[in-house]
Amino acid sequence: MAFEHRDEGHFTVVQIEETRLDASIAEAFKTYVFDLIDNGKTAIVIDLAEVRFMDSSGLGALVAGLKKLSGNGTFSLASAQPAVKDLFDLTSMDKLFKLHSSVDEAVKGG
Amino acid sequence: MSQVLKLEIDSQLSNTTMIAMAVRGVCAMTTLSPVEINRLELCLVEIVNNAIEHAYDNEAGHPVEVCVDLDNTMMNIAVSDWGQSIPDDVIEDKAEPAMDPEHPETWLCSGRGLHIVNKLMDQVSYESDEGKNSFIMKKELRH
Repeated sequence: MAFEHRDEGHFTVVQIEETRLDASIAEAFKTYVFDLIDNGKTAIVIDLAEVRFMDSSGLGALVAGLKKLSGNGTFSLASAQPAVKDLFDLTSMDKLFKLHSSVDEAVKGG
Repeated sequence: MSQVLKLEIDSQLSNTTMIAMAVRGVCAMTTLSPVEINRLELCLVEIVNNAIEHAYDNEAGHPVEVCVDLDNTMMNIAVSDWGQSIPDDVIEDKAEPAMDPEHPETWLCSGRGLHIVNKLMDQVSYESDEGKNSFIMKKELRH
């Protein structure tokens, strides 16, 4: 399975077990995150450590998750790799998301 | 003298990675930096996926052709399909949509691909000829 989640304190950490978060899996990822939110998870951290490449569809799925939780919880990202960080800079999405250097930092820093 | 590589995939999103990896290989022959190669890969993936999702409405069984033309000064990439062409207003819309962190209604979940490509490539053009639509991207090379 491409995605897994675990609880760390009151956070739900979603691990993407793929090197590419692109159009071919963006919809499945969005559905996975929406299901978590629909099941009451309100503090979500996406672990991007394995993701070496992300396109605008992958980014769109993250924005959809953030939007769905907007005002009712937290949705942050951890361990973004250089090409992913670059995409966030290029699209100004670094202004929208909290980018943590690690999952540990994300679950400690809130 | 230029060197030309022509690739073709079937119109399925899962095939885009093969094109991306092949063109990354060609990029390794050039003076492009790792960051530039990542960005070129991003642009290529956006346009190939655009052809699959919009020209062919996500229907498998249609060709997407990528032609890479390389010389000492320029890398020229043409992505072609034989499906629905991109509407003029979409091609001409160069302005990036404004995003306000305070207003979730401005947080768009789609429609960023062409803006990213316009921002990163040195030159882009689009043409349709006898049912063949080609999106052409150019990247200048240092030499």
